[in-house]
Amino acid sequence: MTWDWQYAWSIMPALLSGVRETFVVTLAAGALALGLGMLIAVAGWFAPGRVKLLVRGFVELARGLPILVLLFFAFYALPQYGVVLSPYTTGVLVLGVVYGAYCSEVYRGGIVSLPRGMWDACAALNLPRRTTWARVILPMVVRNSVGALGAYIIVIYKQTALLVTIGVPVLLTTAQTAGYASYRYLEPYTLAGVLYLLLNLPSMWMVRALERRVARGGF
Amino acid sequence: MAGSKPPALDFRGVGKAFGDTVVLDDFTLTVAPGETVTLIGPSGSGKTTVLRLAMLLERPDRGDIRVLGESITNVSAKESRRIARNLGMVFQQFNLFPHMTILQNLDLAQRTVMRLGRSAASARSIEHLEMVGLRDKADCYPLQLSGGQQQRVALARALTLRPKVLLLDEITSALDPELVGEVLEVVRKVTAETDITTLLVTHEMRFARDISDRVVMMDEGRVIEEAPPRTLFTKPSSPRTQAFIRRVLDH
Repeated sequence: MTWDWQYAWSIMPALLSGVRETFVVTLAAGALALGLGMLIAVAGWFAPGRVKLLVRGFVELARGLPILVLLFFAFYALPQYGVVLSPYTTGVLVLGVVYGAYCSEVYRGGIVSLPRGMWDACAALNLPRRTTWARVILPMVVRNSVGALGAYIIVIYKQTALLVTIGVPVLLTTAQTAGYASYRYLEPYTLAGVLYLLLNLPSMWMVRALERRVARGGF
Repeated sequence: MAGSKPPALDFRGVGKAFGDTVVLDDFTLTVAPGETVTLIGPSGSGKTTVLRLAMLLERPDRGDIRVLGESITNVSAKESRRIARNLGMVFQQFNLFPHMTILQNLDLAQRTVMRLGRSAASARSIEHLEMVGLRDKADCYPLQLSGGQQQRVALARALTLRPKVLLLDEITSALDPELVGEVLEVVRKVTAETDITTLLVTHEMRFARDISDRVVMMDEGRVIEEAPPRTLFTKPSSPRTQAFIRRVLDH
């Protein structure tokens, strides 16, 4: 069996629609992960002991379980309790929550490792706690974490491939469908791989450029 | 002093330990309003801790600290914030906010603490930058400035809040030698032209001698000796002060 260009071209529109869907899922899950991660980190910081333990347990659970288990649980088991989510919603929620847990660890590390001088400066300027966090601590943490956070977004992008198992029409799903329809698998999966890579490399470069930019100070 | 204003700073029998390390032990010192007092002494003698306690960055274990007559030792967080508004502090490492421009660094506290509008705050910020000779750097980020320039900005930032008491913690120790002068020049100007009270820690003995009304020698968390600079540097009475001064002047 050799590479068939004509067939390859014929499945491109389907694959590109999969690329678009992959993007949408990545953006939604990524935004959820970044926001939720921040929320978890700040809540974990201020929460009283027992709540802190709860937050900790949640993070460990989300990071400790295979994503597929969570995905299947959310998609197949939750409906038994009346919670019926669309494949798309399930995928975004599960990826967002799992990587939110990972991101919260990045933020937490960022908060812990801020130089004491920054806190001192805020205290010496008498900044209210709200201002200290909103204008100094968190912006600095986000800037210092750009590399790690960006890396997780790229991981989310790759992990969207898992959503093939619950039928979200991401890139891998469209490739699989094309393969099943024609019994030709070489072209769809090769092209899927190439497309994943083509979009991933620029993202990695962007993250690195962003990191360098931040390292120079300012933004 | 009878019937006159209360001391700007008043430390009474202050003790402070970090773990097993006793940093201050029965430390007592009074700084009068408008006075410029320099703390000197070997490293580890507790000088920086004195400033950090006054700024409410640390809490004393024992004793009482008063700022402009008000105790800061057993007060609520809200009270201590109100009292701390009289104080400003500049640090060895500048501690400018690296993600904000110089102007934003100066504006932030004015807008949130003094509740000034954007244009009013910026106008005052520019005034203060002019005072330290850095008006043209308003839109730069801290890391684009030299250490000396960053420290001048830090001084300007502290002064925008009109503190009555300025605490300067080894503000030239992190600077290349050729940048020390420009920073000290600003301090000299501020202390000469305003009635601000200054308590500083420095290793620049010549500067301490020039600027101080009084120099306080510390060792092992206590005051060993205090005197006007001329007396302390030329005729120190304590052997420990004599040894310390001989050692630093040799360098």
